[in-house]
Amino acid sequence: MSDEVRLTVRGRVDARLDMSGVTPGRCASLSTREIAALSVWLGATAMTVGDIFEVRGEHAPHLEIEGDLDTASGVGARMASGVLHVHGSVGDDAGQAMSGGVLRIDGHAGDRLGGAAPGAAKGMTGGEIVVFGSIGGEAGALMRRGLIAAAGGVGSYAGRGMIAGTLLALGPLGQLPGAGNKRGSIVAAGGVAVPASYRFACAYEPPHVRVLLTSLRRRFGFPCDPALLNGRFDRYCGDAGEPGKGELLVWTGAAERA
Amino acid sequence: MEIRGVFIEDTFAEAFGMRAARVVITARTMKWARAAAVKLTGFATSVIACKCEAAIERELTPDETPDARPGVSALLFTMDSDSLVKRLTERIGQTVLTCPTASCFDGLPDVPDRVPAARALRTFGDRFQSSKVVNGERYWRVPVMEGECLLQESFGVQKKGVGGGNFLILAEDIDSALDAAEAAVAAIDGTPGVILPFPGGVVRSGSKVGARGYKGMIASTNDAYCPTLRPLSTTALPDGVNAVLELVLDGLSPDAIRAAMRAGIDAACRSGVRAISAGNYGGKLGPHHFHLREIMGGPV
Repeated sequence: MSDEVRLTVRGRVDARLDMSGVTPGRCASLSTREIAALSVWLGATAMTVGDIFEVRGEHAPHLEIEGDLDTASGVGARMASGVLHVHGSVGDDAGQAMSGGVLRIDGHAGDRLGGAAPGAAKGMTGGEIVVFGSIGGEAGALMRRGLIAAAGGVGSYAGRGMIAGTLLALGPLGQLPGAGNKRGSIVAAGGVAVPASYRFACAYEPPHVRVLLTSLRRRFGFPCDPALLNGRFDRYCGDAGEPGKGELLVWTGAAERA
Repeated sequence: MEIRGVFIEDTFAEAFGMRAARVVITARTMKWARAAAVKLTGFATSVIACKCEAAIERELTPDETPDARPGVSALLFTMDSDSLVKRLTERIGQTVLTCPTASCFDGLPDVPDRVPAARALRTFGDRFQSSKVVNGERYWRVPVMEGECLLQESFGVQKKGVGGGNFLILAEDIDSALDAAEAAVAAIDGTPGVILPFPGGVVRSGSKVGARGYKGMIASTNDAYCPTLRPLSTTALPDGVNAVLELVLDGLSPDAIRAAMRAGIDAACRSGVRAISAGNYGGKLGPHHFHLREIMGGPV
């Protein structure tokens, strides 16, 4: 047993790589050889993890992936436990239907991060996705529980049909965030056009955002400066077409201290 | 055994097993965190009448708190886990929920036994409340008139807590007794995992089990240490002793109690103090025996 399993990309991956079967939970019970034998799809070609990556370590619920995987889809999909740390970018559908554990992405992520499997009623139902770059469109769609945090911007339709959970963006949010939001929280720290279907409630300092930012900063080195930590937010309730218990928290600047 | 001319009696403090929780209260400023903590730990000197024993443990810097704000940690002790849940729920509900800008967190995150002490408080939100899970811990957001009160749902229960560690300061007069007691409190103050639940950390009404003249009393005055009763009772006071004060310590572990007793007794050994003693019940009631001479590094 080792502390972690490390996958290092052997060379540039140009075709679409389906990584949805490679999770920390699976690696926790497999030897190095068995991990290398896991099947992945490169385009329409069936291959193994060992064909694409150099594999080190075994029997560990902590998976480190080195190299850019911006053409890889389904990184961390159906992840239920453990830690998956990607030292680079990932493609679409990362963290799809995730239910637990931590998916950390040092680069950017594509569309539908933390979203639902095709035809499913719920997106991610637990766990944390922390992205140090930006995220594509429809992040957190149909999200039921859990956290998506982005140090950069987040594309359009973030939190579409969100049931609950939290989506945090330090960069700008694209158009129509939280459409159909039921009870989810969207925290916009980098600017957003508030949809007309959200109603202003108040300007205040939400204590749970402070706990969330402090936790992210301490555990992951997430870039939260004091102006954000001590920030005041406008709270908007929505989405009006739904129960309206969702919220959009828009950072308006550091609160003045006596 | 003597320390700076103060006789250390060959006896021991007898203490009991208790359940303990550490409550971390934060607020916008230390003033408000302390205001909530003072109320949370109010009227909590003895389980006999207060149902719990509690006090402030120490102040916390923003680097030490879950939300990076100034905070105060407090320890709360009861005789069983069910009672601990009740006391936490009612005290957090009446003191933290009510205090401007205050939030409440568990201070024993690594303890495996946990109780959902703040879950019941969510209903104050009248179904407008909501919760968030951060790093596996659930927090309740209860809407209040200045914004939201944030309460961590579950609290760790230290099942190996110790209540009733103690030592007695036998002094020539009340001035000397107070000086020594205050020095001892100052020496113990801030010791991790230990509180002194009585006023200013000091007790003047040491008690014995039961009563001589009244049936049904759980405890009554410790007449053996009352100087005014020297000719009327079987006294335990050496000649020249005219005032006795006691320090009672509750701790998260026996080692924490030992460390605090050592610091406190050493500080109390000063001019005007004749002896240091301790309260016990013959060793038959409490499982923890803290022998003074062993603690102070001398022969037992």
